[in-house]
Amino acid sequence: MSAPVGHYQYDRIDRDFLQARIAEFERQVNRRLDGTLSEDEFKPLRLMNGLYLQLHAYMLRVAIPYGILDSRQLRKLGEIARRYDRDYGHFTTRQNIQFNWIRLEDTPAILRELAEVDMHAIQTSGNCIRNVTADEYAGAAADELVDPRVHAEILRQWSTLHPEFTFLPRKFKIAISGSPNDRVAARFHDIGILARPGEDGAPVFRIFVGGGLGRTPVIGQELFDSVREEHLLATLEAILRVYNAHGRRDNIYKARIKILVQAIGVEAYREAVEAELSQMDLERYRLTPEAVAAIRSRFAVPQLEAPADADAVLAQQRRDDPLFDRWVRSNTHVHRDPGHIIATISLKPAGGIPGDATSAQIARLADLADAYSFGEIRITHLQNVVLGHVRKDRLRDLWLGLAEVGLAEANIGLIGDIVACPGLDYCALANARSIPIAQKLGARFADTALQAEIGALRINISGCINACGHHHAGHIGLLGVDKRGEEFFQLTVGGRAENGAAIGTILGAALPEDETVDAIARLVDCYLGRRESGETFLDTLTRLGHEPFREAAYEAV
Amino acid sequence: MKRPVRLEPGQKLVLTANRLLDGRTVWWCADGSWDLHIGRAALLDADETEAVLARVAGEAQRDGVVGVYDTAVQAVMPPEPVTVREKIRAHGPTVHPEFAVESQQ
Repeated sequence: MSAPVGHYQYDRIDRDFLQARIAEFERQVNRRLDGTLSEDEFKPLRLMNGLYLQLHAYMLRVAIPYGILDSRQLRKLGEIARRYDRDYGHFTTRQNIQFNWIRLEDTPAILRELAEVDMHAIQTSGNCIRNVTADEYAGAAADELVDPRVHAEILRQWSTLHPEFTFLPRKFKIAISGSPNDRVAARFHDIGILARPGEDGAPVFRIFVGGGLGRTPVIGQELFDSVREEHLLATLEAILRVYNAHGRRDNIYKARIKILVQAIGVEAYREAVEAELSQMDLERYRLTPEAVAAIRSRFAVPQLEAPADADAVLAQQRRDDPLFDRWVRSNTHVHRDPGHIIATISLKPAGGIPGDATSAQIARLADLADAYSFGEIRITHLQNVVLGHVRKDRLRDLWLGLAEVGLAEANIGLIGDIVACPGLDYCALANARSIPIAQKLGARFADTALQAEIGALRINISGCINACGHHHAGHIGLLGVDKRGEEFFQLTVGGRAENGAAIGTILGAALPEDETVDAIARLVDCYLGRRESGETFLDTLTRLGHEPFREAAYEAV
Repeated sequence: MKRPVRLEPGQKLVLTANRLLDGRTVWWCADGSWDLHIGRAALLDADETEAVLARVAGEAQRDGVVGVYDTAVQAVMPPEPVTVREKIRAHGPTVHPEFAVESQQ
C-alpha cells in the first residue's frame, strides 16, 4: 500500500514487534486467568498495555500517535467499538481513544485487530513516556512555521520501549508544536516543545519543562530556547535522565518532574542537564539530516489541487446559507493552501457526551475523510476531530454529510465545546460525575446563535484532582469534589492553555452539583452584561478582576 | 487490621468486587455466589464483616473476582449504597440509561 497522508507508515520490524508484544500479553492474560499471576502481579503488566480496571468494566486506551489516523485505522476503531464495546468510542484529552466496556479475555483479540492497522495500546498507561501529542493543524495551518509531525514520530520511536525510561518516577507527557500559536498546551506538559526555523532554515526547538495540571498545577518554564535538530534527542535524553535520577519515588503526589523543577529551580535543572550532556556520547544521539529524511519519506504528502474559483464558490455558499456560514465561522481554520481549509468536527452535540462517538459516526467520519481529506483524520486534545485538507468548494458537501450523522454542531471554541473527563460515571479515580454537568451546560447553551454571541469561552470539567478534563486551563473550570459522599463542584476562572498560559483562580467554596449550572449561567450573564465592545470573556475578566464574577457565582447561595 | 466501620442507623454492609473476566461490578450473596444485582447482596453487620471479608477475599481467584471490599448501604430492599460512587457501581453509568445494570441479564 502507499504511505498514509499525515502519519508514519510502519515497516516489517514495527509489525513483527507488535505481534510479539501481543503474544506476550496474551500469555500474561492466560496466566492471570488460571491464577498463576495474582492481580497485584498482573496489574502493572496490563497497564503497560493500556488496560485499566474501572468501575463497571475494563477500559482499553488505544494510542493515536500525535493524534493522527488514516481512515483505515479509524474504521477499525469503529469496528472495535461495535464488536467489543457497547458501540461507543471516547476520544480523550490526550488525543487517544478509550473503550469503556472491554472484557479481559477479548483484549488479545482486540490488540491483534489494532495491529492489523498498525495501532496498539502500549505506553498509554504506566510511569513511562506517554503518547506524544501534537498540533491538530500540523502540516496544514497557515500560521505554522515547522510541521511537527516528523519530529513527533521521531520522539515516538525514541520513547517507545526506551529501556531507561520504562520505570520513571511517574508518567511523563510530551507535546510538540510548530506554530507560534500554541494549540498543544505546551506549557502544561512535562516537556513542551515549540519548533521554529533556525537561521539556516533547519528547525530549532524551544523546550519547556515542568509544566502540568493535576494536584499541583504548574506552568512549564523555558529550559532551552534554541536546541538544534541534531541535538534534540540528546537533550531530551538528558532531561529525562536527570528526572529519572532525582525525581521522587517516595511520594506519588510529588513524583512528577514539575515538583523536581520547583524544588531545585529551573537554573539548577538546566545545569544538571548540561552536566549530563557533557558526559554523553552525543554522536550516538545525533539526529542526522539523513535520519530525519528517512522518517519524512514514510509520510505521504497530500496533493493540494483546487479549482481557481474554490474560494469564490465557498464565499457564495456562505452567503446563501446562514447556518453553513455560522459553522464555517466557528469550525474552520485557515489552511496554508488558499484553495483548502481546515475543518474541525465537533464531538460536543448539545446535551451530548463530550468526546463520544458511536461506531456509525466513526465509520462515517472515515468515509468523509476518504472523500474530502485524503483519508486523514486528526483527534484534538479538546476531544474533537479535524479534517485537515478540505477543498473550499467541497466544504459544504462535507458539512451536509456531517449533519446526516449529527456531527455538524457549530460550536468550536465556544461555550458548547466543553472538555470533560469520563468522571465518576466510569472512572475509578473520580470523585464526581463530569459528563452530566457537561450535558446540562451543553443543553443550557444549546442555541448556537447565543454561543456565537457569547464568543470564545472554554469550559473544562474534571471529576477529580487528577485533572484529566484540564479544569485548571479552562476559561471556566469545574473540579468535582466529594463531600461526605455527595458531589460538589469547585469553580475556577481565568485559566488558559494557549499563548499566555495561566492557571485558573478558585472563585470560592465548592457548590452542590444541582447549583453549579445556574452559577455558571450567572458568570456568563455577568460577562455579557459588563463586557465592552469586542471583549472576550477572558478580556472582561482581566479588566474587571475576579470579584464581580465571584459575586455573580455565589449571589444565590 | 482493618479499621472499624461506623454505620449510621439503618445501614448495613455489603461486599463488592469486579469480575475478573469482564470487570463487571458484582455483589456477594449469602450463598457464596456473586451477582450483578445489588438486590441479591447479603447484608452484613459491622461486627461480622471483617471475618467474612477476609474469607471471601481469600477465595477471590477461585470465584473469578478482583478487589473485594465492603461498602455501606441503606438496609432497605433492594439495598441502596450510601455514596454516589457505589450507587453508580450498583446501577451503571448515569449517562446511558440503556446501560443500567437493572436492564442487564
